Amino acid sequence: MKKKKVRRIFGIAFLNLAFMILCFVGLLPILYALLLSVSEGASALSSSLFAASRGFTLENYRSILVEEPFLRWLFNSVILSVGTMVVAMACSVVAAYAFSRYRFCGRMQALRGLLVLNAFPQILTMFAVFRLFRTLHLLDSRAGLIFVYAGSMCIFSILNLKGYFDTIPVEIEEASKIDGATELQLLWKIILPLARPAIIVTAVMVLIYVWNEYLFATTFVLNESSYTLAGGLYQLQANDYSRSWPLFSAAAILVSVPILVIFFVVQKHMVSGLTAGGVKG
Amino acid sequence: MRSKRKAAPWLHMIPAFLLIGAIIIFPIVYTAYISFTNMNLFHWDDYSFIGLNNYVRALFKVDTGFLSAIGVTLIWTVLNMGIQVALAFFIALGLNARGLKLARFYKTLLMFPWAMPAYVSILLWKVGIYNSEFGLANKLLGLFGIDKINYLSRNVPAFISCMVLNLWMALPFMIMTFDGALQSIDKSYYESAKMDGAGFWVSTLKITVPGVRPVMTPAVIMTTFTTFKQFDIIYLLTQQKGSLSGATLQTVITYAHQNAFVSNNYGLSAAVSMIIFVLIIAFSLFMNRGLKEEA
Repeated sequence: MKKKKVRRIFGIAFLNLAFMILCFVGLLPILYALLLSVSEGASALSSSLFAASRGFTLENYRSILVEEPFLRWLFNSVILSVGTMVVAMACSVVAAYAFSRYRFCGRMQALRGLLVLNAFPQILTMFAVFRLFRTLHLLDSRAGLIFVYAGSMCIFSILNLKGYFDTIPVEIEEASKIDGATELQLLWKIILPLARPAIIVTAVMVLIYVWNEYLFATTFVLNESSYTLAGGLYQLQANDYSRSWPLFSAAAILVSVPILVIFFVVQKHMVSGLTAGGVKG
Repeated sequence: MRSKRKAAPWLHMIPAFLLIGAIIIFPIVYTAYISFTNMNLFHWDDYSFIGLNNYVRALFKVDTGFLSAIGVTLIWTVLNMGIQVALAFFIALGLNARGLKLARFYKTLLMFPWAMPAYVSILLWKVGIYNSEFGLANKLLGLFGIDKINYLSRNVPAFISCMVLNLWMALPFMIMTFDGALQSIDKSYYESAKMDGAGFWVSTLKITVPGVRPVMTPAVIMTTFTTFKQFDIIYLLTQQKGSLSGATLQTVITYAHQNAFVSNNYGLSAAVSMIIFVLIIAFSLFMNRGLKEEA
């Protein structure tokens, strides 16, 4: 009996050690970026391992905030992500509700079609969208990008929300229907509050998607002052990379912090909110 | 009254379908149209129809590189998914070991790579880890007196580098999903298995694996699609505009993108895109059937 206990303690100690190493290795790239972002330009470029840690400075953060058009990019990112969120959620909540509550002919086919379209990588039609937008003069415009983003996230949102709506019992709505509530009131006053976790997770996924999207943001936007954070950061490292490496680390940390905060706030719902609607037709 | 009932669901979907129609469906149709033309930089407006020529070029001419891109994509998807599922399973098992009091703390730390913006992570790895002059990977090698390696300049090291990065980025989601699945298994099964004298491996195979399967199957399928579609890692690490690393690694997605936006071969790129689309439809039909049979 005693021998078993000793073995258990050793086992747990070993697990703890393994997880500490795993966590450290996992965080290493982020920690290293953090270290670089507070080091002086020259020392970061030296090839010895610990040179980077000498010379603490917040200069990189200062110059990102002041010299680069960081605040302008931040503003663009906020406008785009909030705009996309509103458009995508407005379209998908109503559609997901219809998919969940009505049984109509063509429903299964439409759902299956959405699943297939959802698997389609958007990069493949980027050129077609580009040509279309050029003809419609939507390049270089916020509305254009919001449409692209909202369209890309719309299918995901519909499927995700529909999965969650399915789990809400219909009886609640039927009771309020008898009380004379209109459909819109029903959706706004009953469904939305009940589906809060799914709504939050879906909206956050839309937000994160826009915040992190750099490819459309740099292909469809041609002048620097309308870049988003992602686009601006991408340009920053693509253009003058060696000079601005610690600078880039500082910018990367600054861009990631809001996302990290949002992510860990809704983290509790993340897995269930994502898999509930997932692949089930 | 009846016809109003019938129209109601469709009325709800008008805004969503207009949006999806304009941003997703129309571009696909337009891409199909372009795939039958010789549209390129010199034929921007005065393109002409060339039938199936682009498809023939992509599928039967080895030098266009599409066939090898398909091969790379398959290896990429299979290797990544295999390693990812196996590693995530054992890490999640470890997290659920009895007596591990810090499990929540480890989980939070392990979640960071998932929470980071993907392109930020990739660029940080590119300059921070893989850079041949002052990347961390070479600095560590230097401690052991090993010469610097140029990780991204040749295909095989570049492929492995991309894979390591993909694992780093994708493992947290897998671990958390496995973790959730493990916690849904009734603990009493293990106790009765122990009574019957079953060891760790037996109860893992007989209880844990079947127990996590229903939750994991959709998650694994979803991840397989994202792995197959993975564009950012390979693009940002090896073939960004103006900083080609030297490796000529192409998956089908980067191949299509390169032909559309770098070599401006729009017709060929569109044909490749349509082939990929057909492959995806075939794959998802196949997966759907598999799921149904299991259920």
